[in-house]
Amino acid sequence: MKLDSKAPSGPISEKWSKHKFEMKLVNPANKRKHTVIVVGTGLAGASASATMAELGYNVVTLCMHESPRRAHSIAAQGGINAAKNYQNDGDSVYRLFYDTIKGGDFRARESNVHRLAEISPNIIDQCVAQGVPFAREYGGTLTNRSFGGAQVSRTFYARGQTGQQLLIGAYQAMMRQVDAGGVKLFTRREVMDIVLVDGVARGVLARNLVTGELESYAADAVILATGGYGNVFFHSTNAKMSNTTAIWRAHRRGAAFANPCFTQIHPTCIPHSGDYQSKLTLMSESLRNDGRCWVPKTPGDRRPPEQIPDDERDYFLERVYPSFGNLAPRDVASRQAKFRVDEGRGVGPTNVAVYLDFRDAIKRLGEKVVSERYGNLFDIYEKITGDNPYKVPMRIYPAVHYTMGGLWVDYNLMSTIPGLHVLGEANFSDHGANRLGASALMQGLADGYFVIPYTIGHYLAGTKLPKVDTQHDAFRAARAEIQGGIDRLMALKGSRTVDDFHRALGTIMWDKVGMSRTDAGLKQAIQEIQTLRSEFYEDVRISGDKSYINPELEKAGRVADFLELGELMARDALERKESCGGHFREEYQTPDNEALRDDENFCHVAAWEYSGQPGRTNWNRHIEPLSFENVKLATRSYK
Amino acid sequence: MQKSLSYLSSAIGRKQLMAITGLVWSGFVLTHMAANLLIPFSAELYNKYSHALITNPAIYLAEGLLVLTILVHIGNGIKLTLENRRARPQKYAMGTNGSKAPRFQSTWMIFHGSLLAVFLVWHLLTFKFGTNYQIVYDGVQMRDLHRLVIEVFAQPAYVIGYTLCMVGVGLHLSHGFYSSFATLGFYHPRYSPMIHGLGYVYSFVVAAGFIIPPLYVLMTKAN
Amino acid sequence: MASANSKKINLKLKVWRQKTRADAGRFEEISAPEIPVDASFLEMMDIVNNRLIKEGRDPIAFDHDCREGICGSCSMVINGNPHGPERGTATCQLHMRKFHDGQEIVVEPFRATAFPVIKDLSVDRTAFDRIIASGGYISVNTGNAPDANALPVPKEKADDAFNSATCIGCGACVAACANSSAMLFVSAKVNHLAVLPQGEPERERRVLRMMQTMEEAGFGNCSNTGACSLACPKEISFENIARMNSEYMKASVKRRD
Repeated sequence: MKLDSKAPSGPISEKWSKHKFEMKLVNPANKRKHTVIVVGTGLAGASASATMAELGYNVVTLCMHESPRRAHSIAAQGGINAAKNYQNDGDSVYRLFYDTIKGGDFRARESNVHRLAEISPNIIDQCVAQGVPFAREYGGTLTNRSFGGAQVSRTFYARGQTGQQLLIGAYQAMMRQVDAGGVKLFTRREVMDIVLVDGVARGVLARNLVTGELESYAADAVILATGGYGNVFFHSTNAKMSNTTAIWRAHRRGAAFANPCFTQIHPTCIPHSGDYQSKLTLMSESLRNDGRCWVPKTPGDRRPPEQIPDDERDYFLERVYPSFGNLAPRDVASRQAKFRVDEGRGVGPTNVAVYLDFRDAIKRLGEKVVSERYGNLFDIYEKITGDNPYKVPMRIYPAVHYTMGGLWVDYNLMSTIPGLHVLGEANFSDHGANRLGASALMQGLADGYFVIPYTIGHYLAGTKLPKVDTQHDAFRAARAEIQGGIDRLMALKGSRTVDDFHRALGTIMWDKVGMSRTDAGLKQAIQEIQTLRSEFYEDVRISGDKSYINPELEKAGRVADFLELGELMARDALERKESCGGHFREEYQTPDNEALRDDENFCHVAAWEYSGQPGRTNWNRHIEPLSFENVKLATRSYK
Repeated sequence: MQKSLSYLSSAIGRKQLMAITGLVWSGFVLTHMAANLLIPFSAELYNKYSHALITNPAIYLAEGLLVLTILVHIGNGIKLTLENRRARPQKYAMGTNGSKAPRFQSTWMIFHGSLLAVFLVWHLLTFKFGTNYQIVYDGVQMRDLHRLVIEVFAQPAYVIGYTLCMVGVGLHLSHGFYSSFATLGFYHPRYSPMIHGLGYVYSFVVAAGFIIPPLYVLMTKAN
Repeated sequence: MASANSKKINLKLKVWRQKTRADAGRFEEISAPEIPVDASFLEMMDIVNNRLIKEGRDPIAFDHDCREGICGSCSMVINGNPHGPERGTATCQLHMRKFHDGQEIVVEPFRATAFPVIKDLSVDRTAFDRIIASGGYISVNTGNAPDANALPVPKEKADDAFNSATCIGCGACVAACANSSAMLFVSAKVNHLAVLPQGEPERERRVLRMMQTMEEAGFGNCSNTGACSLACPKEISFENIARMNSEYMKASVKRRD
């Protein structure tokens, strides 16, 4: 397998302009002759569908939800970065590029990241024009806040619901095209397979979740914008339906999976409280602008927080990282919280949490201002825990939040399967080993609004695409295979529910492939996952029927894929013998517990090619070397 | 897209029609109530007022307007209610309650509205088309409506029925008054609560103003 | 991992079961013993479903996804109230500590002609998507936007737009409305876009088209009861409806076709 990034030559700031000029174009009359399938309607999928339809392509959009507006982008809270420099505080495209490369611990492709930073201002313009109600100053101009990993204020936000507002903007743009006929929208469809004809992606096979029927969709190109795979951990901040199935099936058809072990653990989540718990809820990182993280100085100090005087509190992020303080990047802040808990200084009923305290912010700004900034987050917190954060410090603990890894894509966002493009969190491209806060929204919209509409034309204009319809043998074969898999699952009348298996997988992943990893633990995880997987295929129980809505059957298919992905994540973590960003190997750390990168041996993207047979997983590891011509490889320090 | 609905057949258009016709009648019942307050005080004043009213040629215009608006209000109300029923053929086992329940008078408009429609017919039959007593004041012959009113309100059963209907009027107005303003697009975070309050005062005053004369008559004139 | 609060309660559920859209449907009584009070309502449903599956019975289908009160998927009527008894809360954010031991809980789907039940508690809300498709947007093709600060928007207007834009499209307004009207949903979108200068060029066309789509979808008429706002998990103000009424009136007067 050859990994050609197709990154254009030339100075970094001119690569994208040059590439835009050099790409082939499809003339307006011919665009309507091309059909493109988009899977997923989050920020990336909805914006791509809308924009391609505006250009004149026939877009077929599929989503697993009942409405495209339910996609999980909606839950993003904090904001979206853009190098507008409206605050006059020294921001620039180059600085955003630099911060993102550094924040990603030098494991992202320079050319892609620079393009992202270049496009970022256009995203804000586009969203404002669509009516996204960003926060504003009294004079009517846009306001910004700061976010982890940056020393400038470049984050645009709409209270604590930025993702919702941006997604609704993209959704509305897409629905406008549905009305105009440019987008054919199919909801409650779950993509089960990518159909290849002569090695080129020419369609998908989807299950109609209402009727249970398998449906075939043919096209000239396929775009996956199906989000991340954090739910492999069972407990994560991801929505319950978020899954890896579409990208995993593509992976099994030949798309390389890059850096699967790069997962982001978000430092500020509401801690786990019981076995019944179905998911973890994120408290936006923006809270760290005004909240201060602390634990008692003495291990085992069980006094209620208000009785612990300031000199007996350890404001650990401010202590360890004086220059970034509570705004240290996510991976760093998460690890520090874990260290405190490991030292026996955790708080709350389970001792697995740290405080995030707004006492000083309320004293400084007043309750009204704090409520304006974070009111809805405080409400969510109170609903879940029953505690009032205006009075009692919040308890927080890290949780899996985002996956930087994903299908490998080149500069044109095309995977190793020709014609199969991957956008947003589903690809691996821009965040390296750690994503900065407020950059996921930026990447999803950059890919959808401003990258794929150009590169898809380049692909379509430069590729010979013989006519293919859904009667083609490839569709029949895929359908038979998928139908067989469903029948097999339905026939196993075992004793354990899908959730049982998913929780068991999650426990393995969190304990051994989570915040810190070891050689022995990873090897053990691989074994345990393999065992769990074979148990799954013997003992899972799905009740109900396949011919009407059956959430158990849906979950079973997704968990089956997670059971393979989990193994690959462990393998990737095992092979990456260094610590970087969200990937922390205990064997590779500095004396003061910071991640120790190995640029000599691991300054590359690991892209895994699936080579398994039915019933037996196997992979080949390929690498795409990363070269840093503009940013000097340096130890990442936030001290 | 086919040609858009005409305003008068649209949901909001018809709702605004309900509001306007409702407001016309709100004004009418207020003046009617004020005139009724003459009953306890003076038969002569009351009779002279009603004579002046019905001999004024403008009365035909006013009556025409009232008939037209009430027909539109009732017809439209029934049609909207039927459509609303169709919008939820399968009822809930349990209705909204607790802090999520709306004010009950708001959801029962069709019920007290229907009661008022029946009352209106009854009321017209009793008074407008009731016994035509005559009386002469200052050499002018006119209808002695006061005598009829006293006769009718001296019957306890009638007064009970009448009072219940007037409670219905109060409830209907207490939603209708405020609701009409909202329907016509008036809403302001500072002034709307005042309108709401005013609506309650208004509907209470109207209902009380209608109930006082018969109670007075019943208590003083009953045999 | 141990529970923070081990208190548990026993509940009796009366749940609407309906296999498919065509099926008549009926209530089924299901007992739900030993429910931790710190669990959310949906986690309680998960526990019940896991027991049903182990007994080989069909689990209760319900829509859910983010479980953070923002995606708008969850949609049940709990003891008569959409999203349950607590104001400003979606079902996923409702916790069992709001219920007491031995309580009977009636769980029904949202009921409206425009929201047909497709299985158990799951309904089809695509009518909302059709309403948005008919005008709930600002027509601006990608790439056409001027600089974001080129057109200042007063903070009050931005906040006003935001308050309407927080609608999560769950449909509780329709479920709560005695008439199954979608006026709160439609008006929230109309106002969000009408308040902003960017939405000005299409404001008349927008309100006329969206209202027409609402009527054609089979929603009822608004009678200003305000039940919609009371049920709304985002507490979208009834003010939106009043403002849309005037918006609609003006648009009807101005239209030229």
